Amino acid sequence: MAQNPQATAAVPDLSVRLGPLRLKNPVMTASGTFGYGEEFADFLDLGCLGAVVVKGISLLPRPGNPPPRIVETPAGMINAIGLENVGVEVFLASRLPRLRERGVPVIVNIFGNTVEEYAELASRLDGAAGIEALEINISCPNVKQGGMIFGTDPAMAAKVVEAVRLSTGLPLITKLTPNVTRIGEIARAVVDAGSDILSCINTVAAMAVDIFSRRPKLANVMGGLSGPAIRPVALRCTYEVVRSVNVPVIGVGGITGAADALEFLLVGARAVQVGTANFINPATAVEIVEGIERFLQVQGLAGIEEYIGTLDTGCLFPFAEESCEWIDLKQP
Amino acid sequence: MGKMQEDARIIRNEEVARMTWLMRLHSPWIAARARPGQFGMVRVREGIDPLLRRPLSFHRIHPGKGEIELLYRVAGKGTWWLSRCQPDSLVNITGPLGNGFTMPDNPSAAIALVAGGIGIAPLFELMVRISESRSKIKAEAIHLFYGARNAHELLPAAVFESTDVSVHWSTDDGSFGFSGYVTDLLDEWTAHAGFRPSELFACGPLAMQHNVARWALARDIPVQLSLESLMACGIGACLGCALPAVHPGGSSAEHYVHVCKDGPIFSAGSIQWRKIRKQQLPSPIFPCD
Repeated sequence: MAQNPQATAAVPDLSVRLGPLRLKNPVMTASGTFGYGEEFADFLDLGCLGAVVVKGISLLPRPGNPPPRIVETPAGMINAIGLENVGVEVFLASRLPRLRERGVPVIVNIFGNTVEEYAELASRLDGAAGIEALEINISCPNVKQGGMIFGTDPAMAAKVVEAVRLSTGLPLITKLTPNVTRIGEIARAVVDAGSDILSCINTVAAMAVDIFSRRPKLANVMGGLSGPAIRPVALRCTYEVVRSVNVPVIGVGGITGAADALEFLLVGARAVQVGTANFINPATAVEIVEGIERFLQVQGLAGIEEYIGTLDTGCLFPFAEESCEWIDLKQP
Repeated sequence: MGKMQEDARIIRNEEVARMTWLMRLHSPWIAARARPGQFGMVRVREGIDPLLRRPLSFHRIHPGKGEIELLYRVAGKGTWWLSRCQPDSLVNITGPLGNGFTMPDNPSAAIALVAGGIGIAPLFELMVRISESRSKIKAEAIHLFYGARNAHELLPAAVFESTDVSVHWSTDDGSFGFSGYVTDLLDEWTAHAGFRPSELFACGPLAMQHNVARWALARDIPVQLSLESLMACGIGACLGCALPAVHPGGSSAEHYVHVCKDGPIFSAGSIQWRKIRKQQLPSPIFPCD
């Protein structure tokens, strides 16, 4: 029988371990960009995803901000949705059961106005069947109380995580904001407070105005930038956070394809979340899973673990061991 | 129901009125399922700029031929790129999305449609369907009140000839038909003719739709409005296309509906018009953008 040179061996192993969390592949959907999952069921098989992170949930339903809530910007969009959500009761009664039927691990993003609210929310979700982990949102730029206020101060961030940690045994992910000077400091604070995993980044604080009407383009004036425009920022933050802490990190920000996702895995993220790209191509997340698999086959790697965190920041010419300075090639 | 993304082949794409383009697409999956008033999210171009899809309503639906038509106004970067698309190339479209119009209960009742500018887009298919459903019964007339800023922005009269619809034209500058807003034409003509529609359908600029809503609510005539909004996903996930609405429980609490999944067709009384902010109104396009 003729050998096909294109034939590849076994299907690469895409499964990853993030501390207490085990996923069949490293691709999740980012909170706020995938509804409660079901909205996308016509476009992709939810069961093929590593996990779905649902829209941020609060104790009580929230109506959200007045419109306009979104505006398109170069290679991105700014949103100020204001955490509109159905509240934890409706979520547990109707949204979670329907999503569980789809056979995908569910991660619940939680949001509160006070430390106590975060804690109460966590204890409500703690008993619910079918939740793999909680993602603590301390980084939303679009709400007046809570949100990013918790995420920009290491002591406040730690308080929220501590309170949630005491209320639940579920694995905890803390989602970090890029709108700080030293993201590594916040990362260390929330890890010390008991966060098992970190995800970074949330949206970048941003603004757009109309030169004719002289009005801000968002009713909230400011909002959060997402999409490919922020990917280099997200990548840098992920790299910094990976180097600052010893817990698994999830890379988020502007990922639209497998190559983008692999950038984050290369710098040390153990998983990624796909956000704004879900709006443009609702099947993006599944296509990324397939793309990563093909990449590993082409690279001849047995699994994604062989690729994660293998970024080579060394010299271009490794034989010049003393330094990375310019090598004079005319020297003998 | 179901929805999906389909690579649609462009059959034609040409300017049919000033800045107004008609794109005919071979999109059999969507054409078989689309209803009047529903819309598709069109990816105007590959790549990341412009990033988002553009929501465009179905102007005509031809399920037999597997084709749909989109009528759009070039109003910015996205629609400009769309107008550059050549026949035989592909555009990716997600749909059919939204609720669509509810056909009139009484098949013989008097109907009025009010279109402002590009607002004719979703009303045309509805108009044709109502008109076709009446061919065999003795029915009251269908009246279309159709206005634009000037004569150049109106679709040619010939496109209405195949329907049994009475078209009443208006232009803001008086260059064709009634001189003034289409809502003034509606008010004056109906008063003069003693005509009372049993139901109204409207689409156009927000200010026009507000006037239609007020006119209809004052006369207790049900009205279905096709509203628009900036939109990122079109499927109820991003929650970006909110409009202030009357709370379903009757309370004064803040409440929003979403144009993509609760609409785009709304009854006049469901919207909190007074809470709509100035930013919802469109701005002119910067010529160099």
